[in-house]
Amino acid sequence: MDTKAKLKQVLVEELNLEDVTPDEIEDDEILFGEGLGLDSLDAVELVVVVQKHFGVEIKDMDEGRPALQSINTLAAFIEEKQG
Amino acid sequence: MMEMRISGLGIAGAFGCGTRELRAALEHGGVKPSFCADAGAQSIPVYRASTTALERYLNKRVLRRIDHFSRLALLGAFEALEDGEYNFDFIPARERLGVVLCSGFGALSTTFRFLDSVMDDGDSFASPTAFSNSVHNAAAAHISMQLGITGPGQTLSQFDHSFISGVQQAQMWLEEKRVDAVLLGTVDEYCSVLGYCWERFLGIKPSTQMRPFASDSSSALPGEGAAFFLLRPQQDGSAGYARISGMECGHVRGSSPRLGSGAPLILGCEGYPDTMNMYREHLPADAAVACYTPLYGASPVAPAFDVAIAALALERGKAYPAPAAPPAETGWATLSSGSAVETLTCVDFGVGGEYSALHRARPCL
Repeated sequence: MDTKAKLKQVLVEELNLEDVTPDEIEDDEILFGEGLGLDSLDAVELVVVVQKHFGVEIKDMDEGRPALQSINTLAAFIEEKQG
Repeated sequence: MMEMRISGLGIAGAFGCGTRELRAALEHGGVKPSFCADAGAQSIPVYRASTTALERYLNKRVLRRIDHFSRLALLGAFEALEDGEYNFDFIPARERLGVVLCSGFGALSTTFRFLDSVMDDGDSFASPTAFSNSVHNAAAAHISMQLGITGPGQTLSQFDHSFISGVQQAQMWLEEKRVDAVLLGTVDEYCSVLGYCWERFLGIKPSTQMRPFASDSSSALPGEGAAFFLLRPQQDGSAGYARISGMECGHVRGSSPRLGSGAPLILGCEGYPDTMNMYREHLPADAAVACYTPLYGASPVAPAFDVAIAALALERGKAYPAPAAPPAETGWATLSSGSAVETLTCVDFGVGGEYSALHRARPCL
């Protein structure tokens, strides 16, 4: 499973997104606010989830803000950190 | 004490959700425990409660960060306020409504899941959402947030006697006129650790059936659910199910509940031989008793279910059929189905020797 597909699956499972399936999440869909509808509490959860499932740490807001825009940006951030 | 009126009921248990389904279970029986495979070496019967009815009030997106324990609490809260026709359009009503939430164990599943994650993966991987839901007052917070209640909130835990503690708290707030009404709820949930303990320490087997008056071996089957009450001062003139006319608590070492001769009683017997001995010792020999725990199992929420059933019986003025008859040697009569009731007392003895007696009477209309 590639990074994007795994991210979508983890997102749905760990954030209990019962009203959406992994397939329904677009790669470029905005994660927070009007897009997927995640909020600041999800951001905290997401930081833990990324570290737990991908071994990648999001250290601060400067790193996290651009990375947490969409599945595309988050997958790129993870792959870059994983080398 | 200042009398209180039960003006709304919100209940969810193995019997279903709401007063209509509880009445049906009382009339027709037939509540069966389900089997939970995760309980340990073998699955044991458990009285589980569903929260699917909560989707009538909240959408899935809102519910996603709310665990089963808090969902049970929310369901009970919404049902009680709807049943009591509480007017939320009137903003001061939100400020003058208190929330008292009682639980013997709290959010067990979330708490153990959170602790497991810390032990398995370390504290840096622990879910912040799981942690926030594992805090005992999370359910009361969810209720206040989702219902927009801005009155005082309190969460109490005193194991088997959590509910009676909540009644005392509600009574105090109403007497102080700190609030106009109190949403008092008790909630407890089953979890696999509890199932393991039930099997390991109480010897519960897949074939065990709940015998509330058992004195030979434990037949208590675990249950879960929520029972919520909208309480108002008796004198406010609103309609309701029943009046709470008195309550007492104590410990068998120093006192005994004051129960009149021949008094109709609802007993909180759950199939524990030790507590059954206390009932035998402290109840009048000519008591007329009923016990309804075979409809919802053993848990700290059971005394609140007893009170809900008493309220329903007092509203209609007639007792409901008792699913189990007391042993002949006790001398107690079974509170017969359909017999007229003007007052009812719910009596509950805990395994540690604590007791509570909550006296109710028909509403004064």
